[in-house]
Formats: sequence, structure tokens, C-alpha cells
Amino acid sequence: MAQLSDLEYLKLSKGRRLGYKVGRFFAKIPQATLNAFQRIGGALKSGVTAIGREAKDIVTTFVNGDWKTKLSYLVMGFGCLARGQILRGLLFLLFEIVFIGYMILSGAYWLSMMPSLGKVGPTETYDEIYDAYVHTYNDNSFQILLYSVLTIFFIIAFIYTWRVNIRQNKEAERILAAGKRLKSSKEDLHSMVDESFHKTLLSLPLTGIIIFTVLPLIFMILVAFTNYDGAHDGYISNLFHWVGLDNFNTLFSWKSASGTQSYAATFGEILSWTLMWAFFATFTNYFLGMFVAMAINKKGIKGKKLWRTILVMTIAIPQFISLLYVSKMFAKDGIVNGALMSLGWIDKALPFWEDATWARVSVILINIWIGIPYLMLMATGILMNIPADLYESARIDGANPWQQYTKITLPYMLFITGPYLLTSFIGNINNFNVIFLLTGGAPTNPAASSASGSVGYTDLLITWLFKISTGAESKYYLASVIGIMVFVVVSIIALIVYNLLPSIKNEEDFQ
Amino acid sequence: MKKFLAIVLAAVMALSMVSFASASSLAGEYEIKVWVADAIVDLTEAQIKRFNETNEDGITFKATIEKMGEGDAASNMVQDVEAGADIYCFAQDQLSRLLTAKALAKLGTKAAEFVTANYDADSAKSVTVDGTMYAYPLTADNGYFMYYDKSVIPDEDVDSLEKLIEDCEKAGKYFSFDLKNVWYSAGFFFGDAGCTSTWVMDADGNAKGVVDNFNSDKGLIALKGMKKLLDSDCWNSSSEVSAFESNSAIVVSGTWGSSTAKQILGDNLGVADLPSYDIDGTAYHIGSFFGFKLMGIKPQEDPVKNAALNKLAQFLTGKECSLERHASNGWGPANLEAQADEAVLNDPILAAVYAQKAYGQVQLAISGAWWNIGNVIADEAKDATDEEGLKQVLVNYENKINESLKLDANALLFVGAWNGWNNADEADTYYFKDGALTLDVPESDYMGGRIVKPADWGTDKGFAQVTTGAELIKDLGADNPDNNIVFAEPGNYTVTWDGTAITIVKN
Repeated sequence: MAQLSDLEYLKLSKGRRLGYKVGRFFAKIPQATLNAFQRIGGALKSGVTAIGREAKDIVTTFVNGDWKTKLSYLVMGFGCLARGQILRGLLFLLFEIVFIGYMILSGAYWLSMMPSLGKVGPTETYDEIYDAYVHTYNDNSFQILLYSVLTIFFIIAFIYTWRVNIRQNKEAERILAAGKRLKSSKEDLHSMVDESFHKTLLSLPLTGIIIFTVLPLIFMILVAFTNYDGAHDGYISNLFHWVGLDNFNTLFSWKSASGTQSYAATFGEILSWTLMWAFFATFTNYFLGMFVAMAINKKGIKGKKLWRTILVMTIAIPQFISLLYVSKMFAKDGIVNGALMSLGWIDKALPFWEDATWARVSVILINIWIGIPYLMLMATGILMNIPADLYESARIDGANPWQQYTKITLPYMLFITGPYLLTSFIGNINNFNVIFLLTGGAPTNPAASSASGSVGYTDLLITWLFKISTGAESKYYLASVIGIMVFVVVSIIALIVYNLLPSIKNEEDFQ
Repeated sequence: MKKFLAIVLAAVMALSMVSFASASSLAGEYEIKVWVADAIVDLTEAQIKRFNETNEDGITFKATIEKMGEGDAASNMVQDVEAGADIYCFAQDQLSRLLTAKALAKLGTKAAEFVTANYDADSAKSVTVDGTMYAYPLTADNGYFMYYDKSVIPDEDVDSLEKLIEDCEKAGKYFSFDLKNVWYSAGFFFGDAGCTSTWVMDADGNAKGVVDNFNSDKGLIALKGMKKLLDSDCWNSSSEVSAFESNSAIVVSGTWGSSTAKQILGDNLGVADLPSYDIDGTAYHIGSFFGFKLMGIKPQEDPVKNAALNKLAQFLTGKECSLERHASNGWGPANLEAQADEAVLNDPILAAVYAQKAYGQVQLAISGAWWNIGNVIADEAKDATDEEGLKQVLVNYENKINESLKLDANALLFVGAWNGWNNADEADTYYFKDGALTLDVPESDYMGGRIVKPADWGTDKGFAQVTTGAELIKDLGADNPDNNIVFAEPGNYTVTWDGTAITIVKN
């Protein structure tokens, strides 16, 4: 669809404007995809050139450098020590010694075991004297995988430090050649709280993120390429091994026996419900929460504080408790059905958790009840922030309340809460609590349930993942594959929506 | 030189072991972790203390006792065996999962003899997988039966499922029977309907084969019976005795609910075995699983500690401790001496358990996957609208078993007169190991049988495939439409199947 000029666009009727916008969105997709690939290609290219530049610099530094610099290639920090920068030199040297020591003592072992993830499994022998089976445990695939990843991180850190060491030599030579003085150890220390203060501050969080976030993440992704499960725990039962892309094939294979559904079909079903759920859970909460906030904010409403307090009370009770309680309330023999029956409104129990559609609608409705207070609180603050003169001038121009809402309130809200909407959508895709505590995935979907675990109509990807990893067969590898797929889905949605958000696109609008 | 040194070292080691062996002392202090159900934590602590004081081996356990429901022990063990308890209680259905995770130490030869001699025979069978024992039987009461509210259900109706449903519907009460859990729903298939589902497991907890005839006319009868309850508005899928508080008149549950049920219903509490359902004028009694709670030991790297733990397990599952648990919690012992005790014999709740046992299938090791496959039977059957639909449920069930368990392609069973054709109890005995099987054929009118693939009763392997040893079997000619192998004389035979031909040798 060709792009129209502003004038042409304004000539269109309301319906056609909408059609035009939708058409433009889809028309842009091929170009956007192409751009994305080009950007990736560009990034790769610049990455390669950067490495080439670094390599060239390393060589030229060596060729042009003096003997202190040359020796620093082998003994890190030698140049610093020889030029009187004792502290720096010692730190470099210490790091090299620690690194070499670690590699010899254990790093080399972990790396050598990495391709096989363990060679000798556990053994069992009968000890006649004590009438006992004696177990010996040997290689530990889990540790091998973990420590080899850690070792690779360490090697990367070493290479980086080695590079820094060379660059510093070059720098030092340049400074000395210019006839200036090098920094003393004392000055180095001082700089840590002065011009290098950002490094001092960031070093701890960065280390933390690498050890507690990045490392486990990489470890978990690698699990998807192994056969790590209940029967192969890597130490006690059996070693686990690399299986390549087998697990991805399992998840995306449409083949299955009659009576059982393939993983791919189950994945598709659960994914579509997950997206449906995330959509409804996010937007029902958003609009109803906003509505409640506006209703309470309205001039002339009495007892504003009371209404807010009542709503906030639901936040005060831990979700864990209220959800489990509500789940019981709506059970077949729960008090909701009991009350309705004794009132004579129904003569048989309503299948809140027994019927697929009922259960899906029920979880969305109950989620509204849980979510509104949060939205109400947030919206209240934002609504009070909208300049009253906007409404005043709108009223003078004859705008009715609906027009005021669509032209002032909603754009303003969307502008401010756009990123929140995105995160809450993503949060709802992974909303384990509500689903697991309310229904546990029930009612069961017999076709999708198989030997490796039951699957229900209200199961999200995340609860399915949980069931697979804690089920009878503890298929951690499959859970990992699903985890990766959730990441892919979430990142695609996040990237697309993020770029469409008014708060990102039209950053200046409300400033 | 090195070799010589190794020999000397080995000799010294062997000698030292022999010299210690004569003493074979277990004396010492051991730090252990114990998992038992919440209800018996204090009791177990006292019992271990008593063990420390009274045992003659000089063993002292410094035990950390943690509460862990028997139903959760496996999943916690599987997650991290290293951090798991050294000795722990678990329900029998988790045995295969624990085997898969290698979380159970095999019992030694003497320990196995001890189990055979001192515990209920069925319970001893239930801890045996592929000829090896893996745990000590703790209780023999893990079955289910019916608790009912006498103010709603007249005593004369408790034998008929139809009448019970009618009573509940009339009173607007619920009939709680957790059919969404196959442990309960399988009851319909067992009982008088006469289905079996018996698994041949290996030491890794993998299924090698299964004798399962749910997908049959018998299974259809069972499903029709179940459908009566499923279709009623009074059905509530729960096994919690507390359901009496939320409008249930009947709850199918086990001994663990007895004290709660007494509390809620007081004098109105009735206990009975499960009812019968009527299909085409015949009454079929609902069966049940009869299971056990077991006490297992985590594999140890130190044989001495393992031996000491065995002593403790024998003590804890012994007469005295079993009777204490019966007195305090009503648990029915698996220990033979304890079973013969007056207090146990006169227990009305255990009487209901044993009455129901007559219709029960003794629960042996079952593939963990079966629970997942079976749990959906009730859901599917509820959605079925006609007989064809019900048949499809059973077909799906069988397909899932065959597909998902990827049964050993070589798994074969020899069923026949010698094991009642489908006597699943003995499935392990008539299983072909590496294509060969040795069996005793007892004297009977018809000493015949056929080789079948588990879960597939095909008639393609039998008389016609016998190439060697044809003189040992009868040629019935046209009287043998099912291709059965009929032995001419009783005796001990070895039968081999090599993929194309059958060889029979008399031993």
C-alpha cells in the first residue's frame, strides 16, 4: 500500500483511515525485516573489522614496542613493573598466575571433558561382607557443563585482560615518548574514586550479573542440547550427553501415534492460548483499572479514600493465599456453587474449572479482580497529572466526555504507560502464579496429555514447562527448549511493540 | 614393579577386609537424614532414639528428621539425590521413578531373605523389580474404600453404585471419587470387570513390557460403569475426606482420612468396601489398588553405613515400631508379626481395607508414565457420548501406552494355562529375557499357550513358528485356530524366539 500524503490521508473516511493504517503496517513488514537483517549484517561486519583492527594493533605494538613491551606479551604486567607502575604490574601478573594455575589445576580438565560431558558413569558393586551394594560416583556431567562454561568465561576474561595489558604498554610508551610522567600506584588508586569511579561502582554489579544471570542463562540454554532428565542426572543415575538438535526436533515434529498428539500441535495450542490469555489479562485489567480510577477521581464522588482503601486491601493479602482460596471457592463443591444452588438460581453446579471455555473465562475474570487495584493506583496518579486546562478548553470547544476520553485521557495514558503495558503483557505470558494456583492447568486436555505429563486447557507455556520438568520423567532438556521458545516469542513481541509505542516513537509529544 | 606393587596392595587390602570382616563391626556414629510423613515425625524420632539405645551393634545415629509426605518423596529425591534423605518413606507407586533416578540402594542377599521371611508376601513382591528387592515394606494398607454419611445414605444401599448415585442426587449431595487420578479410576477396571495392567520393569525403572487388557470387552464394561458416575451431577473428583464439609455424602479415600472423617461426621460415619455397578443385569464389584508404603535407603558409598541403615530400616519396619504407628496413626503394618497382633486384627477401618483387598490388584512396580496416560481416562470418558466414544477412549489409552513407552521391541511374554492366560502377577516370570525363557509347565487338561507381545495379543507367534522341538508339542490341526503351542507333557522347558522361529528344548 502506497504511502499517502497528509492531505490525502485527511480526506479519507474514518473506516478507510483505519484500513489504511492496518495496510501500512503489513506493507512495512517486509522492509522492516529486510532492515533488521541488514542491521544484523552490518553489526557482524563491524564486529569482524573490529577484531581485525585489534589483531593488527597487537602485531604493530609488538613490532614497534621496546623489549619491555615485547616481554609483556608473555609475562603480563612486566612492562608496568619495569616502568615503575608497581600496582598495575602486580595485578596483571597476579591475574596471569591465577589464570595459569586455575587452568592447570582444573580448567584444563573441565575443558577436556566438555565435548563428552563425562566418560565414566556411576558403578555399583556388591560387598558380601556387609551384605551391601556399594556405589561409586565418578564423572559429574552437571559440574562438567557448569565449570566448563565458567572456564570459557575465564578464558575470555583473560584474553581481554591480556589485550588491556598490551594496550597499556603501548600507551605507556607513547606517554614516555612524549616526555610525560606515568601514573604512580598511588595515583592509580586515587583514580578509582575519581575519574574511574564509574568502573569502581560498576565492577560489582557487572560481576554479579555475569555470575548470577548470564552464566546460568547460558548453562540453561546449553541444557537444551543435552539429554539431561530424571534418568540422566549426570552423576547419580547416568551421565548425560550432547544430543545436538534432537530436542528441537522433538518439539517441532508433527509425527505422533494415533490417540496422542504431537508436541508441535500441543505447543501450538498452548502458545495460542498463552497469547490469548496475555492479551485479555493485560487489556481487561488496563481499561477496567483505568475506568475504576476515573470513576473514583470524578468530582462529586464521596469517600474517595474509602473506595481506594477497599480496593487496595486485595493487594495486602498475598496472592498465593487469595488465589488458592478463590480456586476452592469456585470448585464444584465450593461455596459459590453452594450458595447459588441454595438460592435456587441453578440446579446443578456450574463447571467453573471443569469445562475448557468456562475455565478460561473464569481465570481471566478472576485475574481482573486481582489486577484492577494495581492499575487503579497507577492510573490515579497519572490521571491527576493531566493538566486540567486541557479538559477545560476541550469542554469550551464542545467536546463530549467520550471525545475527551479518546482525545486527551487515553493518548496521555498510553503515552505514559506504553512501556508498562508491554512489560505487563510479557509478564502475563509468563504469569505462572495465577494459572497454577487457580487451575493448575485444569481441565485436562486428554488429546495433548501424554506419558510425559498432563496438559490442560488453561496451561500456559510456563506452567507446561513446569509440569514437564517436575513430571514423571523430569525432562529438563525439553523444558529448556520450551524456555528458549518462550524467549523467542517474548523477544519478537517485545521488539515489535516497543518500536510501535507512542512513548518511543513520539518522544516529544507530551513534554 | 608396578604390577607387583599392585598385587601386594590388593592382597593387603583383601586380607585387611577379611580380618575386619570377621568382626564386621558396624559400631560407630552415623549422621543421617530421615524423611517421614508429618504425622510420624515425633514417633520416628523416639524410635530412632530407642534404636540407638537398644541395638547390639553399637550403632549410634545422629538423625535429622524432616517431614516429607510419602507422595512427595520421589519428586524431591529425583530433583537432587545427593541432598536427599539417607532413609525415607515413599508410596509404592513411586518405586519406578526412584529406580530411574537411582535413588534406592538394592537390598543385599541377606536383607532380601529377611524381607521374604518377615513381611507380608504381597508387600515383599511389591518391592521386587526384575528379581531384586529395593526397599522394606512399611505398611500394607494403601488402598481405598468408601466413607459415607449415614444420615444421607441408608446402610442397605452401600452395595450398589446406582442406588448410591440416586441417593446423592436426591439429597443434592456429592459423591466424591477422584476418578481423574488413575490410581482410583483403575478400580473400575480391576474388581469384577477383571482387567489387569501389570508391568515388567527393569532395574532402571524402564518398562520392558506390559500385560494390559483395558482395551477389551471387559474394559468397556468397566468404563460403562464408571460413566454412570461421571455423567451424574453428583460426581465430584476428590479424594479429600474434608469434602464431607463441603456437601459430600460419600468420599472414596484411604486409611489416612479416617481421623478427619470421624471428626467431621462423628457417629454418622459409615465405612464400607466399594459398591458394585450393574451392566446388562450383572453386578460388577468395583476393585481397587492395594498398595504399600515402603521405606527405602539411598545408595551409599560406604558399605558400613549402608549396613547400619539396613539395621535401622529393619527396626523401624519391625513389629514393635509398626504396632506403635498403628496405635498412634492407624497405619496397617506390613510386618507379619505385627499383622497377627490383636489390635490390628480388630481394627474396623483396616477390616474395610482388607475386605476391599479381595477385589484389589496388588500394586507392583508400574511405569511412571502410566499415571499420566491413565489420568485422562475419566476426562475422555466423560466427553464420550456413545459406546463408540467409550471404545475410542480405550483405544487411545492403548495407543498412548504403546507409543509413549516405546516398549522394548523384543519384549515378549509367554501366556498360557500355566499363568491363567493373563495372570499378570506372574508377568515377570514369563517374560523373555534376550529372546529366551525357561518355564515350568504344570500338569493340566490343556497345557497350551502362546507368545505375545505385551499389550498386543496377536496370534502370529505360536505353533506354526516352531522349527526345533516340534516333537515336544501336540499338533491339534484345525482345532488350533489361535496358533497355540500345546505341550504334550508337563515339565520344564526352555523356549527361544529368534525373530523368525521358535525353538523348544525340554530340560
